Amino acid sequence: MLVLFETSVGYAIFKVLNEKKLQEVDSLWKEFETPEKANKIVKLKHFEKFQDTAEALAAFTALMEGKINKQLKKVLKKIVKEAHEPLAVADAKLGGVIKEKLNLSCIHSPVVNELMRGIRSQMDGLIPGVEPREMAAMCLGLAHSLSRYRLKFSADKVDTMIVQAISLLDDLDKELNNYIMRCREWYGWHFPELGKIISDNLTYCKCLQKVGDRKNYASAQLSELLPEEVEAEVKAAAEISMGTEVSEEDICNILHLCTQVIEISEYRTQLYEYLQNRMMAIAPNVTVMVGELVGARLIAHAGSLLNLAKHAASTVQILGAEKALFRALKSRRDTPKYGLIYHASLVGQTSPKHKGKISRMLAAKTVLAIRYDAFGEDSSSAMGVENRAKLEARLRTLEDRGIRKISGTGKALAKAEKYEHKSEVKTYDPSGDSTLPTCSKKRKIEEVDKEDEVIEKKAKKAKIKVKG
Amino acid sequence: MKPGFSPRGGGFGGRGGFGDRGGRGGGRGGFGGGHRHEGVFICRGKEDALVTKNLVPGESVYGEKRVSIAEGDDKIEYRAWNPFRSKLAAAILGGIDQIHIKPGAKVLYLGAASGTTVSHVSDIVGPDGLVYAVEFSHRSGRDLINLAKKRTNIIPVIEDARHPHKYRMLIAMVDVIFADVAQPDQTRIVALNAHTFLRNGGHFVISIKANCIDSTASAEAVFASEVKKMQQENMKPQEQLTLEPYERDHAVVVGVYRPPPKVKN
Repeated sequence: MLVLFETSVGYAIFKVLNEKKLQEVDSLWKEFETPEKANKIVKLKHFEKFQDTAEALAAFTALMEGKINKQLKKVLKKIVKEAHEPLAVADAKLGGVIKEKLNLSCIHSPVVNELMRGIRSQMDGLIPGVEPREMAAMCLGLAHSLSRYRLKFSADKVDTMIVQAISLLDDLDKELNNYIMRCREWYGWHFPELGKIISDNLTYCKCLQKVGDRKNYASAQLSELLPEEVEAEVKAAAEISMGTEVSEEDICNILHLCTQVIEISEYRTQLYEYLQNRMMAIAPNVTVMVGELVGARLIAHAGSLLNLAKHAASTVQILGAEKALFRALKSRRDTPKYGLIYHASLVGQTSPKHKGKISRMLAAKTVLAIRYDAFGEDSSSAMGVENRAKLEARLRTLEDRGIRKISGTGKALAKAEKYEHKSEVKTYDPSGDSTLPTCSKKRKIEEVDKEDEVIEKKAKKAKIKVKG
Repeated sequence: MKPGFSPRGGGFGGRGGFGDRGGRGGGRGGFGGGHRHEGVFICRGKEDALVTKNLVPGESVYGEKRVSIAEGDDKIEYRAWNPFRSKLAAAILGGIDQIHIKPGAKVLYLGAASGTTVSHVSDIVGPDGLVYAVEFSHRSGRDLINLAKKRTNIIPVIEDARHPHKYRMLIAMVDVIFADVAQPDQTRIVALNAHTFLRNGGHFVISIKANCIDSTASAEAVFASEVKKMQQENMKPQEQLTLEPYERDHAVVVGVYRPPPKVKN
């Protein structure tokens, strides 16, 4: 009788040497107490080794589905058909399939189970040429592959990529800013005016890379990078610059830095595109609701999409504003109304009065989208689109209600004011005609008398003087 | 080893022999020393805690507290074991005689769930031992696989434990089977796995939830019927312990499978 024994390193076919011992099922275990004894009762006839984990995975997934894969078929045909002996198998169903497909007689009984136990306990000794460490490694690899196969693991749905990508994006931005500031400062020593003329960082670096030393500006062609007036300004400034001269080596180093900056900028745009793609693949509904960046930041903040899905809607609303939240809770003040969700486009396009309301509504619908993406089977964004449309409609009604509120509520509109006729007659005011200071021509009686006295006295004095 | 089979009910007082009483001052957690069971330790402090040595220092599996104790030059990290979450910890604190899970052992763990107790078993058996963790649920299976990525002595098997022949190619002979499956036919499940994978003279530790087997009968009756089923399957129970005060109507049964025949002098 032959025995088919499957291991993680390959198929083993044993031949039972002493069939009489099989009659005593209960004492069969004694035969497998030591490797030497075991070798006397069964002998390894053929060992079909798997080349790698992939082959082992294919073999055992076929076995699990109740089929025989090509490798096993080949082995069985070669060995068992020639021997014309019945084959003992551990699984009755497998035996049935083998009988059907290859027309070999299979046995499955308690005796076979005992035999399998014995072989398993002496596995190391019975299969020479397989090191225990190799067996252990294959076993571990195969277990992980089989589990992944069972869980229908798909490599695109790994959200670790998103968490890492968004962290890298932030890191790149910081580094880029540092390098650009350093570049400006360094080159500003040589040509400070360029920094003031060109405000965009990437253009500055490209310009620098093209030209280098101040002397070359006159002959350089900067038309692709800069508009004409700016180019003219730059060239003019280069003539009358107050920066110092620098040597070739120094310019060389500055140019190296510039090249680095440009490379990192390009990588950053590429990384952003990659992030957008991944977000669409992993969480399409969330992307539709809040956008890629905000969605990625939410996932990164929670740690994983599954963790994010476990949060309540109110938590998602203030995720990212924890410091403000706990400070407000401790001092019993008003808690913040929005966290990371503030940067979503829906919240950004509302007036400040309604941002809180919209943030709450958006958080509620976003949480539904998150759970749909985390636990749902299909990956379509129909649900997200629908919810977003609902939110936008609600946003519009909110704004309309707001406009009416400026002129009073509905009730106030209905209440009409009592009509009172005020007759107003407007006359022309001549006080605006002349710019001289106005004094009224009608003077008061006491003033007039006093003034006449003064004038008479002066007149008398004057007369006396004249005479004398 | 008690001869025959003697059930120990609840209310069994704390056993002596819990390592030496270090009795370090309150506030700072002092290390109390080893437990009677190998691989398990006690941390003394404001509250005493059962701890295991962390196989992956610096990482917490399910948010449990970690303690770093300096031993000479290097620091060893221990993880606290919660008896309210883990039946094995409850059994150890209840005073079970032998858990049979020791450094270097090969353990088959049925009903691994998300891997909270599996991680502690993995700590106990150490890098030389192996834990085959069997769990059928896909959600828990995902957490189990993530755990197995970090600890290489855990082998995850996402299969139904009722059909051991389906994962026969992954598992070699084991020394101990720990079962926490909470199924009405759990004795049959353990028996099938024992017939396939448990070596002669190996041990089994089964956690029985009375409500799960039969919610109408009393807990004692359920435990007795389970023990009887075990005896019919060539599994010899040696101890039974209820898990009061950590769980209600739960018991742990420890026994030996196919013990080697006693040599009569």
